[in-house]
Amino acid sequence: MELRFAGVTFVRAGREILNVPELSFPEGRVTALLGPNGAGKTTILRLAAGLERPTRGTVRIGGTNAGRATRAVSAFAFQSAVFLSGTVEANLGLALRLRGVAAGERSARIASALDACGVGHLAGRSAHRLSGGEAQRVNLARTLAMQAPLTLMDEPLAGIDDPTHRDFVYQLPGLLRRAGATTVFVTHDRDEASRIADDMVVLIDGRVRAAGSVAAVLHHPPDRETAEFLGYTLLPEPVGATAIIAALLRQGGGGEPFALEVESVNEAIVGGEIVGRIRGQRVSMPVSGDRPLPAAGSVVQVFAPPEAVVRFDC
Amino acid sequence: MAELWDGLREAIRLISHGDGYVWDITFRTILVSSVATVLAMLAGVPAGYLLARRRFPGRTLLLTAVNTGMGMPPVVVGLVVWLLLVRSGPLGGFELIYTKRAMVIAQFVIATPMVVGFTAAAIQALPADLPDLLTMLGAGRIRTLWLLSREANLGLLAAVMAGFGGVISEVGASMTVGGNLDGNTRVLTTAIVTETSRGQNERAIALGLILLALAFAVNLLLTFVQQRRLR
Repeated sequence: MELRFAGVTFVRAGREILNVPELSFPEGRVTALLGPNGAGKTTILRLAAGLERPTRGTVRIGGTNAGRATRAVSAFAFQSAVFLSGTVEANLGLALRLRGVAAGERSARIASALDACGVGHLAGRSAHRLSGGEAQRVNLARTLAMQAPLTLMDEPLAGIDDPTHRDFVYQLPGLLRRAGATTVFVTHDRDEASRIADDMVVLIDGRVRAAGSVAAVLHHPPDRETAEFLGYTLLPEPVGATAIIAALLRQGGGGEPFALEVESVNEAIVGGEIVGRIRGQRVSMPVSGDRPLPAAGSVVQVFAPPEAVVRFDC
Repeated sequence: MAELWDGLREAIRLISHGDGYVWDITFRTILVSSVATVLAMLAGVPAGYLLARRRFPGRTLLLTAVNTGMGMPPVVVGLVVWLLLVRSGPLGGFELIYTKRAMVIAQFVIATPMVVGFTAAAIQALPADLPDLLTMLGAGRIRTLWLLSREANLGLLAAVMAGFGGVISEVGASMTVGGNLDGNTRVLTTAIVTETSRGQNERAIALGLILLALAFAVNLLLTFVQQRRLR
């Protein structure tokens, strides 16, 4: 079920929160919605859910305007995992009952969704006594149990502890693809987005800066601000190879010795002064002694000056 | 001091011997205040929900009015209701003045702001996304209101306690619109005033004890329910 925004603006208290001339989320694809705080990501989800109405333009789900009529085909995982009093099972049961799922089918769906999210053992626990991470996983399970053609998730993995987060990042793509729903999820985590999603939309100041496949958006940021948001480090002025390497060493901090694929850096930037934007957190891994970096960086892409981007794929 | 002890002894005798006058007033008090509280809940819970959930121009002003209403002197309410219901007033044609219905109306006006205020606070204390979650799950308006009320039950019980406690103990409005007619509109509070002015201190004390016991019993029941739900 395709989700399409056309000429959408959303104004609140006289301030334009969102301005999206055209944006579509193709049927069956998983799209990550990235952007800094206040970029309008949650507003996009709320518009898609029909919880807000656009000031101008249309939001259509499978050809129908988003609203009461389309809620039956949507599932929404709110950022704060909220539950009614009662057990986890009762909460999921209520969700399915309100959606008109037959009584006989509910138990199987609940068990399957809870197991898939690794919280099957919490079925009988009071939903108000879950830890933050458990609540997020149950929240996700409730959303998946609904088997809605359009699944909207607002930071579904926020607050989940690291090991479980890693498991989820590994498992979620499979779960979502098996569900076959058009999925839009908000995240601040670029790695999470790139591992889970097929497509990526970058939203800054209420405007779509980049949209397309994950690889296309990550490897071809359209402008400096987007590249910076995606983790490329902006060097202050055009510099040569030596300065870039020096900057990398500085980012590593502490004067620790580094093993960098210096050859490829030189190769890439020889022949001109360029602005290098480097994914700092990837390349600044200190190593001790002569041991090389576990994942040494190599330049994979350089654009023409002055918008050159040097990206290390570690 | 001796007078107080005599009063207490006489009060216990009146209560234990089932004095007709005392029990008649007691039942009337329970009837009037219960009906007023139930009506205030029926009107006040949805109104409190809307005040908590909806954003509209003048909302803050309305909330301020409700909060002010929670502390409104009953005698002022009585005066306004009296002016409306008195024969020469705009609603005089209904001939409600000096009836139990008039007392219910006045007590309803006293209790409703309390119920609205407590309900709005209880609903606002719920997680902000909960109403939207219920909407997304497909719950209609009535069902959403019901489910949220169930979640906010502790706050709503506080609303009942405040409403009932407020009306059962008020004297000014009941006296003004009910007229304190013996055998007709006399309730515990107005009877206490009457018996005290007559020098019937034992009866006044007996009625006072019953009023206290009644308020205590209702609140005990509600507190018991409230605390059991907390467990």
